This record gives sequence, structure tokens and C-alpha cells, in this order.
Amino acid sequence: MDGVSAAADVRSDVPPVLVEDVTVRFGAITALSQVSFTVEPGTIHAIIGPNGAGKSTMFNVLSGVYKAAEGQVRFGEHRLDRMRPYQIAGIGVARSFQNIALSPAQSVAENLMLGRHHLTRAGFVAAGLRLPRATREGRVHGGRVAEIAEFLDLGDKLHTPVGVLSYGDQKRVEVARALCTEPRLLLLDEPVAGMNAEETDRMAEAVLEIRSALGISVILVEHDMGMVMSLADRVTVLDFGRRIADGTPAEVQSDPEVIRAYLGSGDEIDPSEAAEAAAAAHPSETPGTTS
Amino acid sequence: MTQFLSLLLNGISLGAIYALIALGFVVIFKASEVVSFTQGSLLLLGAYAIARLSDPLGFYLAALVGIAITALAAFVIERLIINRLRGAPVISLAIVTIGVDIILLTELIRRIGSDILNVPHPWGGDSVQIGDVGISENRLIAIIVAGLLIALFFLAFKFSSWGVAMRASAEDGETAALMGIRLGRVSALAWVVAGILTGVAALFLVGSPTPGVSPSAYTVALRAFPAAILGGLDSTGGALVGGLLIGVAESLAAGYQDDLLFLGRGFGDVVPYIVMIAVLLVRPSGLFGTRELTRV
Amino acid sequence: MSESTATATATRGATRRAGRTAPAPRRSYLRPLLLAVALLVLLALPLYVEEFWLRTGFAVAGAIVGAIGLNLLVGTTGQLSLAHAFFLAVGAVTYTFVAGESGGIGLADLRGLGWPPLVGMVAGVLLAGLAGLLFSPIAARLRGIYLGVASLALVFIGQHVLNSWTQVTGGFNGRSTPEFSLFGFTFGNTDPDLFVLEVPFREAERLWYLGLALALAAYVFARNLLRSRPGRALETLRDSEVAASVMGVNVQRYKGRVFLVSSMYAGLSGVMYALSIGSIAPESFGLELSVLYLAMIVLGGLGSVGGAALGALFVSALPLVFQRYADALPLVGGAGEGGLAPGEAARYLFGLAIILVVLFQPTGLAGLAARFRRRGRDPGGGPADRSASATSDSTTSVPSDPPAQGSTS
Repeated sequence: MDGVSAAADVRSDVPPVLVEDVTVRFGAITALSQVSFTVEPGTIHAIIGPNGAGKSTMFNVLSGVYKAAEGQVRFGEHRLDRMRPYQIAGIGVARSFQNIALSPAQSVAENLMLGRHHLTRAGFVAAGLRLPRATREGRVHGGRVAEIAEFLDLGDKLHTPVGVLSYGDQKRVEVARALCTEPRLLLLDEPVAGMNAEETDRMAEAVLEIRSALGISVILVEHDMGMVMSLADRVTVLDFGRRIADGTPAEVQSDPEVIRAYLGSGDEIDPSEAAEAAAAAHPSETPGTTS
Repeated sequence: MTQFLSLLLNGISLGAIYALIALGFVVIFKASEVVSFTQGSLLLLGAYAIARLSDPLGFYLAALVGIAITALAAFVIERLIINRLRGAPVISLAIVTIGVDIILLTELIRRIGSDILNVPHPWGGDSVQIGDVGISENRLIAIIVAGLLIALFFLAFKFSSWGVAMRASAEDGETAALMGIRLGRVSALAWVVAGILTGVAALFLVGSPTPGVSPSAYTVALRAFPAAILGGLDSTGGALVGGLLIGVAESLAAGYQDDLLFLGRGFGDVVPYIVMIAVLLVRPSGLFGTRELTRV
Repeated sequence: MSESTATATATRGATRRAGRTAPAPRRSYLRPLLLAVALLVLLALPLYVEEFWLRTGFAVAGAIVGAIGLNLLVGTTGQLSLAHAFFLAVGAVTYTFVAGESGGIGLADLRGLGWPPLVGMVAGVLLAGLAGLLFSPIAARLRGIYLGVASLALVFIGQHVLNSWTQVTGGFNGRSTPEFSLFGFTFGNTDPDLFVLEVPFREAERLWYLGLALALAAYVFARNLLRSRPGRALETLRDSEVAASVMGVNVQRYKGRVFLVSSMYAGLSGVMYALSIGSIAPESFGLELSVLYLAMIVLGGLGSVGGAALGALFVSALPLVFQRYADALPLVGGAGEGGLAPGEAARYLFGLAIILVVLFQPTGLAGLAARFRRRGRDPGGGPADRSASATSDSTTSVPSDPPAQGSTS
């Protein structure tokens, strides 16, 4: 299994994501300017760029938090740019947050159950009166939540309040909560930011497993170049709200404009180092190194 | 027509007083993210102090000291309570000001009792005629003083280092702190400014045509809240417009009360709230308030 | 659609860490036992306790219902509301109008439908809900803090209506509340005369049971709600509206719904208040009442159902107790005697308590109780101790390391 062809078992109901000429403005500031790219079904697609390049804005557009002034985002027959965030969640697009947005007083299990929200029905009356269908629903989905927690090494922390977990654990709860929505498209916003090397490797492994086991598409915003280059099938590079490159990790790394953008801002990567990292940690080898 | 003009002018004067209170409300919100429910009792405190001190000190000195006491009270509240809660949820901050309000209000009502304390404004209850339109001298002076004070406020807000620091910290507290702006000092100063504005409002609110200081001044002060909200909680200009709008609407409704009898007596008192609801239905962040941009 | 993929991850997870299951939270048998004993005591109380305490108990029960409802809105969802008094008024007036008879008292010409009191109670709850629903286009769109000020409007508009709509409300002087009855059994002093173990069961005794039943039902409903799908959605939208909506929660609809539920609780509480006082008057439903309810839930602990009940007990019983023991208490005295009037003393205490709770004990009485319980079980306190005090802003206090620079390999 290598590179782009890794998506052998793509789920049949995962359509491509077509981002076409998306522009976002805040007052006089243009945060994104005519950005286009395509995420093929079952691939891991990274969006990278220096700070302030518009990566988070792009994520906010994809998940419906921001409205695009121009352009469109298609996901199968759906127009994500015209939908509200909860509707987007309802069609199987899930997202993790860079700045952890969990409920600290609730347990891991409760936070993850929120991911089941659009898959469950119990309303105020059914829940308040503990109608049989509400309790049954809770039981069934609780089981699935436990499985997903297990998958992300959170099985023994299910009943711990999120607020007391370590930072790395909280990041994993973020990803687990997104997975709990049974997504067809998973948006991961810097899933390893602030993690140590070991945690990062485990997360990278988990992302690959998610893709190969579920056959879904993953869009990844990440600062960790090693991770991006080793995981991504395709990379879109943003700078000052414009797309400056789009291609395979190898193509992007040798793109002169990308090198200029990164060197010019003095930020994030030394391209040569990133290339090295990509060579050293190729997807097929990662699992062996950590398990 | 004369009646209309008269009501309009009186409405503007009332609105100018509301605008002072609402400005204080907005300044506090911008500097410390606190929705201060203490403004009503602060106003009553100012009015009470002025009324009580007028006898020993004479009106002018009493007015100055009364305003200073209001500002001092606001300062103490900020230092003792608000300052310790930096970063607390907005809702806790609002609730703690309600706690302060309960104590202050209970104490003041106990002291005032059922009396109506008189404030001996030198201009007394005289009224002046501008053409056919009459207005009490007190209210006319209120317009002038409030106008000057508000102009001064906007100049300070725009040009003084405090104004710049405050706008910066309202924009992005974290960055402002990194730039060396002391958020604590900005917040304390904002409370003092709000206290002064409220004290001045108190001075005029209890003058003619109002008979004097009674607990009902608190309820009147509360009508400045809708003014702040409908202008936009974080907009100083909005507070001014909101205050005037509320003042005029209230004055007109009270003036044409006989035509509005089917809505019940004293309908003018609730008009500010109805205007606010109408505005919020159309614009949930008020007329000039910025829509909060979510950062995730 | 998710079944096949579900099993795919499941098997992977299972094979990797076979046999390790998550420990469920410890269950003790002590708890249900204690609850059963407490319930028995409450049920037996009218046999031993004098009328004053039973009447206080019914007033407290009404406050508990109202406080639980307000806490769902303010504590759980983070929407500040000062309109609670208004919804109580809607419940109280509706009950009085529906169950009351037409007739004149003095100059006032009062209208009433004269329907069974149970219908009046249900109507009170529903109409309060309807009023909440009418306001919810505003409630659902405003952020918590805007709602706090906007909701002031309802209190003042409510006051105006109560004072003006004399035929229904009795106007400035108010009107008396018809006594409650359930399928012919009245909750009054007679009709039928009732003795239990030779203790006469009159109005106070009967209302005590009514209050107990209603408060318990309100409590259980809210507890269930918070532990299930809607409750989780509400708590998450308090902590982050964006996170909630991205996870599939229709934030506006949920804000509207919780406002509806909260006002229905208030409606029931209003009916009970009217029954407890025996009459309704506009001045009872002013801003002060809203503030008292806010005091209850802050003191009890925002977001905790049990806390709301505790807070309601404290805030609503204290002035009555002060009043009864005014002679015995230092500082507190009759209004004319230079001391503090009982109501004033209570208000000082509430104000001070609110400030102290927000400053030093943000989880309120419920948090204190939780800490106490844990200390009994686990002397070290342990890391879980901090969990109770994890408030909604603690996400930001997580050490946010700078993004990893460069490669980690």
C-alpha cells in the first residue's frame, strides 16, 4: 500500500470534494481568494501554509461556520457553501478542532456521544420521561462510542471528565468525537499540534487506519511537516489566502513558490528537512515503527 | 404640532440622560466584557448622595462629591470583585454585578424609605419657552451638559491613550496585553468613567419634572439598558442613538397616552422595552453592534 | 449505512486491545437507600410538623420547580434570563383565570372560566410555554448575555399587563386564587374532612403532598434530560456554540426548545406560587423575583439539578424563617425598631452570597456537596476533585503549546 493508490477500499458513498474559486472576506480583509482544489474519494488531503495563510478559514468554510462570499464547495449532490453547520454534519462531514472545543466537565463518553447526535433521535420529551426508545438508543450508541474510544486508546478513560485529561488525550478525544459521527469526510484541524513525538506517531497511525478501514476521505490541516509529507496523498499550499501550489507531496516540496513562501516567512519548515522526513517516514513503514 | 415638538424636545432631554447611563454600560462592557447590572443602583447611590449632601455642602459641591462617590463606588466594585474574575465566563460576571446590585439597592431603599428626597437644583422647577415649546430648565441644562460630556467622551475615546488602550483591548485583549497595555488599569478606568457618567445622569434625572430622589429612580435608570442593547452592546455611538431613540419614544407614548389608553395607563414606561424587542427581532446584535466573529 | 464500517473499526480496535474494558463508575448501594429514607421522612412529615413548616415546604417546592427550570436555561445552556418572573406570572394568572369564577369584588369586575383546577394548572404550564415560544425567535438568536438584558423587557411588559388587564388579573390589587382540587378531592381545609392517624389533614397537609409530587417529577424529568441526548447538546452549546453546531446540533432550535421547557417549568412554579400565597398581585412578579431565582441557581450551583433544588430551599425558606424567628435573631427586627426587616436581612445575605459564590465557589452548594462526598470516599481528594470545579471556560486554560515546529521524526 503506497501513496495515492492506498485508497483501495473506498466507500462507494464517498463523493469527491470540489472546492471551486472560494473567496472569503471579513470587512476589507480578504482571507481567501479564489481557492480551488479537489479531494478525491478515500484520499488524505493536506492543506498547509504559513500562519495566516487561510487554512483555518478554509476549514470553517468546509464545515459551514463561515460563509464564502464567492465560489462553491460541492460534496456529491450537496452544496456545502449553502448549508448550515449542523446540516453539514448531518450528511457525514465531521471536524475536529485545533483549539480543543470539548465540554470539560463532561466525561469522555458524554463528549463522544455528542458525535452521535445526528444519528440519534431522542428529543426533550422522550429523554425527560426516559421512554424505552430513548434508553435503547442510548445503550446501542454507547456501545459504538466505547469501540471508537478503544480505537483511539481512550477505552480506560471513558468515564473521566475531559477537563482532567492530558493535552494529548484531549486531542484524541477531539478526533474520536469527530469519528463518532460516522463521517464520510473527516476534517482534522492540526490533530497533533502540541503533542510529543510518540503521541504524534500514534495519531499518524490512527489517521492511516481510519482511512484504510473506513475508506473515507480525510482533509488535514497540519503544521507538522513530517506528518503531512508522510500521510498525505495530495497537498494544497495556501499563502496569503491564495492557492500557490497543489500536487503530490513530492511535487509540492520542489515547487519554487512554496519554498519561497516558507523561507520568506521564516516559518514552519525547512523544505529539505521536510523532504527527508517524508522519505524516512513513508506510510507503509509508520505502523512498524511504533507498535 | 406644538405638543409634538414639545414632546420631542423633552424626549431628547430624557434621551440624553439615558445616553449617559447607556454609555457607561457600553464602556464597561468594552473594557471588561462585563454586562453591569449595577448601573441602576449606582445611579440611585449618586442621586441619594447628592440629595443628602446638598444640605451641608451646598448644591454645587454636593453635586461634585456625589458624582465622585458614584465613580468611587464603581472603582471599588471593579477592584474588589471584577478584577479578580478576569477570564471568568461572561455570564458569571453579569451575575456577580446582580449580587452587588441587590446589596446596594437594598441599602439605599432602606435609607430612603418612603420619602422623596429633594435635590435643591438652583434652577429649581422653572421652565423655559423656546417659541411655543416649553421645557423644564433642568432638562434643558441636562441636554447641554450631556452633550458636552458625550462630546468630551468621544474625543477622549478617540485620542487619549486611555481611549486607544481601551479600544485595543476590546478588539483583542490578549494581543493588547502583549503590547504592554495593562488590562486591569483599562478596566478600572472604564468603571470610573462609567461611574462619572452615571453620577451626572443621576444629577439631572432627579430634577424637574421629577419631584426628587425616590427608589423609582432605579426603575427609570433600568430603561437605559434597552438603550444600550438596541444601539449595540459594544457600540458607543449606538448607546447615544439608542438613548435618544428610547427617550423620544417614551416621551411620545407618555404624551399621547390618552390616545393609547387601550394599551393601559403608564404605557410610556414600557415603550423602551417594546422598542428594544422590535429592534432585536430584526437585528440580533443591535443597530450598530458588531456580529461576534467566532474564532475556532 | 454505517454498520459495515462500524464493524471494520470495531474489529481493529478490539483485536488491538482485546479484553480490556472500561470500568464503569462505581455504584454504591448507600445512595438509593438514603434516598428512600429521605422520601419516607418527607412523606411522614405532615404527621409531626406544624402548619407553618408545611406551608413553607409547599412554597419551597414551587420554588424548586422554578429554579430547576431556570437552571436548565442559565446553568446548562448558558443563556442568561431575567424573565423568569414573567413566566411565573403567566402560569399564576392563567391558573387563576381558568379555575376562577367570574364575579365582582368591590369595583372590579373579574372574569373567570370556572373550569376544573387541574385544567387550570395544565393551561398555566402550556400558556407559559406558549409565551416562551413567542419570545423564542429572540431568545434563540441572541447570545446569552444579550438575552439577559432583552429578557428584562418581559418583566416590565408583564408588570404593565398585570396592572392594566384588570378583568383577568385583578389589576393593581390582584385577585385571590381558587383552591386546587383533583377529581373532586379538594386541597382545602374541608370537603372531605380527612384524618390520618388522628392528625387532621387540612389544606397545608394536602398541599405538602402536592408540592412533593410536583417537585419530584420536575426533578426527575430534568435529571433524565441532562443525562441524555438533548442535555449533552445543551451543555456543549454552552461551552462552544460552534462546536455544537459542527457536531450536528441545530443551535437555534435547541436554544428555542430549552427556553420553551424553562418557561413551562416557570409556569408550573407560578401556579404553585399562586396556590401557596392564595392570591396573585402584580408586585409579586417584579424584577426582584427574577433576581431571587437567579440567586437560587447561582447559590445552588449552575447546571446542577440538585443544586437548583438546594438553592431554592435556601433562598425561599430563609426570609420566612427570619420572619418567624425575628425576635430571636440579633440584628433582625421589626421594620420600625431600627433593626433590619426580615426581608431586607435576607436580601443582604443573598447579594453577599452571590458575590462570594461567584468569587470563591463557582459550583455552588452542589459543588461543595460533591467535594464533601468525595472526601468521604477518597481522603486524598485525587485528580477527580478538580473535575467538579471545571467550569465552562476551562477549555481555554488548557496549556496551549505552540504548534510543533518542523519535523518530529
